[in-house]
Amino acid sequence: MNGATNHVERRLQLAGTLLILGLLTEAVCLLWARPLSFLTFISIGGAFLFLGVVVYLLSLLPSESRPETGAE
Amino acid sequence: MPLQTTLIIALVLFSIALIALLVVRPAITATHGGKVMAFLVLFLLPVLCATMGVSSELERSKTTKFCLSCHIMESYGQSLHVDDPSYLAAAHFQNHRVPADEACYTCHTNYAMFGSFKAKMGGLRHVYAYYLTKPPAPENIQLHEPFNNRECLHCHLGARSFEQGAVHNADPDLLPAVKANKVSCISSGCHEVVHRVGTLSKVKMWSGQP
Repeated sequence: MNGATNHVERRLQLAGTLLILGLLTEAVCLLWARPLSFLTFISIGGAFLFLGVVVYLLSLLPSESRPETGAE
Repeated sequence: MPLQTTLIIALVLFSIALIALLVVRPAITATHGGKVMAFLVLFLLPVLCATMGVSSELERSKTTKFCLSCHIMESYGQSLHVDDPSYLAAAHFQNHRVPADEACYTCHTNYAMFGSFKAKMGGLRHVYAYYLTKPPAPENIQLHEPFNNRECLHCHLGARSFEQGAVHNADPDLLPAVKANKVSCISSGCHEVVHRVGTLSKVKMWSGQP
């Protein structure tokens, strides 16, 4: 397994973690039917989901030009 | 819990399980099938869950129960049960002139373009006032802006009782002025008693359920 693969996998793991946090927030907010839950879902849950998707999409970009950690 | 909410939560939990699998075993994305799965699990499913969740939350935010879940709104909820037809909100609620489960939203939304969005922004102002400022006593709560006749006319315009009502036609200038929002439907001498929560303890309550 090379450094680029590791880099992609780390990004996928980060994206997955953010998405899990966002989805957990969504699930809790759906169960807790109060005005504050609506705001929590939109702000915190939405931010996690947005960041998770963005990190995933960034992981799809080619990373050959990126210097690998410890390569020098 | 509504079936729709249950299904969304089930989808959310299913997505979490699949995402967790990818987090624990990211190497499975090395294959073509793994890449397709990653796209489904890390993009399509979360976007689908978020869309369905937002839609569900927005629909739920229209319900009477949702509006009355804030303590400060309790007396407004009670005013819907006043046994007096001159109480405008109560008469609408009890006689199903508005859907009983969306009573607040039906009258207090904005029936113009982007009206629902504006109504939600107004709701955010309520949350801000409730949690971050010292909210006024229920009887002192004021509307952000004067009630627009447009919200009444959304249903009443063209209705016989409105167009041909004796009081509405007693003065020939009244109906055009009401339709132009120059004379408010809830102005003094007309339908001025709407919620009047300050005197609820002195009025008779209707014990039925709409």
